[in-house]
Amino acid sequence: MLELKGIGKRFPGVQALQDVSLAFEPGEIHAVVGENGAGKSTLIKIITGIYQPDEGEVHFEGRQLRFRSYRDSLAQGIDIVSQEIQVIPESTIAENIMLDKLPTRGKTGIIDWAAVNRVARTYLEQVGLSLAPDTVIKRLSPAHKQLVQIAKALSAEARVLLLDEPTSSLTEHEAQNLFAILRGLKEKGVTIIFVSHKFEEVFALCDKVSVLRDGRLVGTRKISDLKIPELVQMMIGREVNATHLGRLDADRGREILRAEHVVRAGKIEDVSFAVREGEILGFYGLVGAGRTELARVLIGEDRLDAGAIYVRGERAHIRSVADSLERYGIGYVTENRKEEGLLLQSPVSTNVTIAVWPRIVQALTRYISRAKEVAITRRMIQSLEIQATGPNQKTEDLSGGNQQKICLSKWLAADCDILIIDEPTVGVDIGAKEHIHRLIWDLAKTRRKAIILISSDLPEIVKIASRILVFREHRVVGEITGVDDEARMYDKVSAAIGRYLN
Amino acid sequence: MTTHGTEQLGSRGPGPAAGDRRERISGRTLGLMISVAILFAVLALLSQSFFSSYTMFVVSRQMAFYVLVALSQAFVLVVGQMSLAVGAIGSITTIVLGLGLDTWGLPAWLAVVLALGLGALAGAINGLIITRLKIDSFIVTLSMMFIFMGLRSGISGGSPYKVPESFSFIGQKSLFGVPYVFLLVVALLALVGYMYRHTVFGRRMLATGGNAAAARLSGIHTDRMVVWAHVLSGAFAALAAVLWASKLGSAAPETGDDWLIISFAVAIIGGTGLNGGIISAMGVFMGSAIFMLIKHGLVEVKANPYYANSFLGLLILLAIVVDRVRELYSDKQKGR
Repeated sequence: MLELKGIGKRFPGVQALQDVSLAFEPGEIHAVVGENGAGKSTLIKIITGIYQPDEGEVHFEGRQLRFRSYRDSLAQGIDIVSQEIQVIPESTIAENIMLDKLPTRGKTGIIDWAAVNRVARTYLEQVGLSLAPDTVIKRLSPAHKQLVQIAKALSAEARVLLLDEPTSSLTEHEAQNLFAILRGLKEKGVTIIFVSHKFEEVFALCDKVSVLRDGRLVGTRKISDLKIPELVQMMIGREVNATHLGRLDADRGREILRAEHVVRAGKIEDVSFAVREGEILGFYGLVGAGRTELARVLIGEDRLDAGAIYVRGERAHIRSVADSLERYGIGYVTENRKEEGLLLQSPVSTNVTIAVWPRIVQALTRYISRAKEVAITRRMIQSLEIQATGPNQKTEDLSGGNQQKICLSKWLAADCDILIIDEPTVGVDIGAKEHIHRLIWDLAKTRRKAIILISSDLPEIVKIASRILVFREHRVVGEITGVDDEARMYDKVSAAIGRYLN
Repeated sequence: MTTHGTEQLGSRGPGPAAGDRRERISGRTLGLMISVAILFAVLALLSQSFFSSYTMFVVSRQMAFYVLVALSQAFVLVVGQMSLAVGAIGSITTIVLGLGLDTWGLPAWLAVVLALGLGALAGAINGLIITRLKIDSFIVTLSMMFIFMGLRSGISGGSPYKVPESFSFIGQKSLFGVPYVFLLVVALLALVGYMYRHTVFGRRMLATGGNAAAARLSGIHTDRMVVWAHVLSGAFAALAAVLWASKLGSAAPETGDDWLIISFAVAIIGGTGLNGGIISAMGVFMGSAIFMLIKHGLVEVKANPYYANSFLGLLILLAIVVDRVRELYSDKQKGR
């Protein structure tokens, strides 16, 4: 049994964990859930020895663990299968599994490849992966790479297996396969700690769930006597659990964007939808279900293989992001704001005005008006309540929430009528999250923007969307309308998801 | 000079609380200026004739060539790439210029246009291969470097071409003691600085180098920007070659052989970001001054010229190390 007793961990300016006591039993799949910033990753890092707790103790099978490093925790039989899949892409499956214990021919130091492949194969069988052990890792899908990681953990005789958002890069079918394997390991007495923010997975797979909020343990409950709304309540807490922000009277708006039978080979199969001005249309589903892929087609970043897109009633041919921005007024706020959204080293003003430079340039001298640039940035800082010292502040120095607002302001400065907002609150703290929700809702309500909100955060989407499309395996599998009554919404969405889970 | 400071996407202008990066970089340019001043003082002490109009003429003209060659590299560094073909493009354009003037007997202006056009075209080919086929700029420009070098040796057979005397005017004459080449280059540098700071085109290039994915998702045709950067790089290499032929009074095939290292050295000393997105016109100017003065100083102290390359390498390394140390120090100050 793995036991945490009164764990506390502080970082400069943040109490990441406070007095967390938890017990993980062998032969049990125990979910740890919480919003971003609730303390999940800190907890994982303490269990795996990457961080040392400031207070409290970790006990494993009766002994207190004083981990000095990740290696030590591995030696104790605690292993992690992480979000960023840690495999060596250029080497084979067998090498990855056997890396720390490659068998050699006698004492020559020459690797016995036959033995490597033979031993690796037995672990591959345990995770149900029927690939040749000498297959090079980089040819594998994310799902298979993950299974290799699990095989590696098994080869180290791990008795505690931590899975950190393991399905974030898997299709639903692959996720189901993973769950079957995890259930098998559970039968063998392995302790499985499953970190996730996806309710449907927690309910489909786990025996127990522990909820973290703001670094504290809210409680541990048996899945069998818990319902989704209760869990949501535990996660987001009563005081922030404001009801749906209100009606958007979207049905009175003009239809502004329509997609008909959109196909993108291997990514999207026959998706149709329409969105009106003043409406927030939610795209709910897992990563790879087709939501972001659809967004990329709508902004011309990926090609449309079949189907048609209409903007303001006219057939649109969107060939590049420049097209989508200048001709159709579609803006896309990416889910990876640091990688794809911002020039982190540049001042705030650059990121706010980057899409409007051609509009504020003097015709003859090609001079971008600095005064206009500053004015636009000031206006955005003010209207979106961005916490920045001014237009010249370096973007990297802003908090996640404020960076997200800057991503949004880029498209507002460009006067886009259609905003596609992808996972707007990933890596944003709870207070800022509320603020961003209110902001998005206001954009639809008062500025009549047509908004497509892509999110895999169920409470988020239920809270602000007027209508939700449920995506699964490249298709839309359900549409939920009348999102006024929050409790009823959860039931509806749970039902929609439940139908497709088993 | 109308330009100064470092171009980093709108890093200056009105408004309070400038980002600390900007302060740090103008501090860097200041450091370069101080280095130049110190080098000047040292050289003045070493040699009586340093401030003579002849030395000043030679030094400033040579410096101008370094600026051109460094800009040729800096254009592509800004968009996050590199060009190993800078010198080779200079070399092949010298051959075409020589052929035009000597063999074909074209009028000078036509031969120059031809040479510049070829430089731009060579850059365009690099850029198109890199962006269309998604191949790393290192490998593409490395191959092109050898292709051009082979062509120039094959075509010229190693012997120089004659150029008409009138052609040497711009490379050898001066206005009130200031070489025409220097005046031309300072004007071009000012334009380049203006471009990066104030124009959509320049700032889109900076954005492309700063974060290509973010730039593309903001509606910038980043591939086009990369191609344009290579075109500018090729054109500037060609311009340097044409002016060099004018200075020499002949089109020498070995033109450009030492440009590769010079282009990186001056650009890096001048504060051009190796990862893209940063360039300083003033920095490039100061970088070429430092480079020139050190070379001149080595001659003054009669250093063994066989060791010259080691000094170059050391200088580049020093520039990078100094930048890195500053970076680490400022991160530490912020508690990262």
